[in-house]
Amino acid sequence: MSFVQYPAHLSKSRLKSDLVAHNVELPPAGSKKEAYVALHLRHVDQTNAANFSSDDDDQEDVVAGGDPESAEELDPSALTDNDLKALLFKYGVKAGPILASTRAVYENKLRKLLQSAEEGESNEAENAVLYSDSDEEDVSEENEDEEKELVGAQEKKAEALEPNQQQSNEMETWSAPSACSYSKPEHWSRSSRDPGRDILKDLLPDTKTSPTGIYASPRRPIKGAAQRPIQYAYPDTPVSPTTLERREVQRRLVPVYIQVLVFFAVVCILFLIFVNVEDTNGVVDLLESLNQCPDGEDETRDAACGEL
Amino acid sequence: MSTTSQKHRNFVSEPMADKPVTALAGIGDRLGHSLTEQGYDKAYVVLGQFLLLRKDTELFCYWLKDVTAANSKQADDCAQCLKDWCDAFL
Repeated sequence: MSFVQYPAHLSKSRLKSDLVAHNVELPPAGSKKEAYVALHLRHVDQTNAANFSSDDDDQEDVVAGGDPESAEELDPSALTDNDLKALLFKYGVKAGPILASTRAVYENKLRKLLQSAEEGESNEAENAVLYSDSDEEDVSEENEDEEKELVGAQEKKAEALEPNQQQSNEMETWSAPSACSYSKPEHWSRSSRDPGRDILKDLLPDTKTSPTGIYASPRRPIKGAAQRPIQYAYPDTPVSPTTLERREVQRRLVPVYIQVLVFFAVVCILFLIFVNVEDTNGVVDLLESLNQCPDGEDETRDAACGEL
Repeated sequence: MSTTSQKHRNFVSEPMADKPVTALAGIGDRLGHSLTEQGYDKAYVVLGQFLLLRKDTELFCYWLKDVTAANSKQADDCAQCLKDWCDAFL
């Protein structure tokens, strides 16, 4: 019965059934939970004898504090900041500063945790009553595993997965509500978005997650922007449009010949301008050279002039 | 394949500087107005709240739904946007 470490965490009915299972005489019907807890500790938790002293101290402190573990009497809004923080820590939630703005959030969270714990316990109690001793252990162990794995697994994961510590804590606190029939699709969608969760499942295959057992998590890098591959850069335009563009340009380049002709025409014009700007002697020479052409070549001259 | 919105990508691609709270993914005009009324007029103020909750997206969603009339999707988008921004720049 090593799974039972904190009897004060269990509900009264659970303690009752445990005592009955161990053939321990029940205290009078009107007894408080503390009586059941004490009996439970004495008779059931025999394997944890070494831890008894610390457990007892804790139990006494807890019991003296008005039995805050029993969910029915607990009111998160009546707790002090430190108590709230401590309780959340017991459920494996590392709370940040409890300020005016964050207090409501943490109270909410605690309520949800208490509800899910209650639901889990009531399921266990029903199973304990229905099933025989041997079955009871298995069934209650399975149900306990959900909760205890939360508490135990937190430390395991903290050691195993340092960079994902915060995220793994979130993961487990999410999976507990979902395992306890808390249908919150946003958890699944969120987890399906986050990468590396598959690693957690591989490491801890016993972890109960979604009821359907289906978990689709697309790969997605967790690291910073510098190391993040092309996530926020859009994929380059496919090659085909560029080749299409090239082809269009080539089509425009087809009239290269026209461009060449224009080029030469411009060269001729510039040459003429250059000649005109130069000394008039050059012009005269040109004119003389032109005049030297016999009249027989008037036609060619005209053609040349016409061309210009 | 990323399932984030354009707004998300825009926000996460650069330091938020003095962007208004409506620049956050999931926060439109209505929610932005609601947040501004409560004093969360810039994105960095909401970031501050997110950091106070130790960058826990679930708790941040609780908070946002509590403080504004945000629905689950909007709160989710906003939380994821802030988380990604923190991963990239913090």
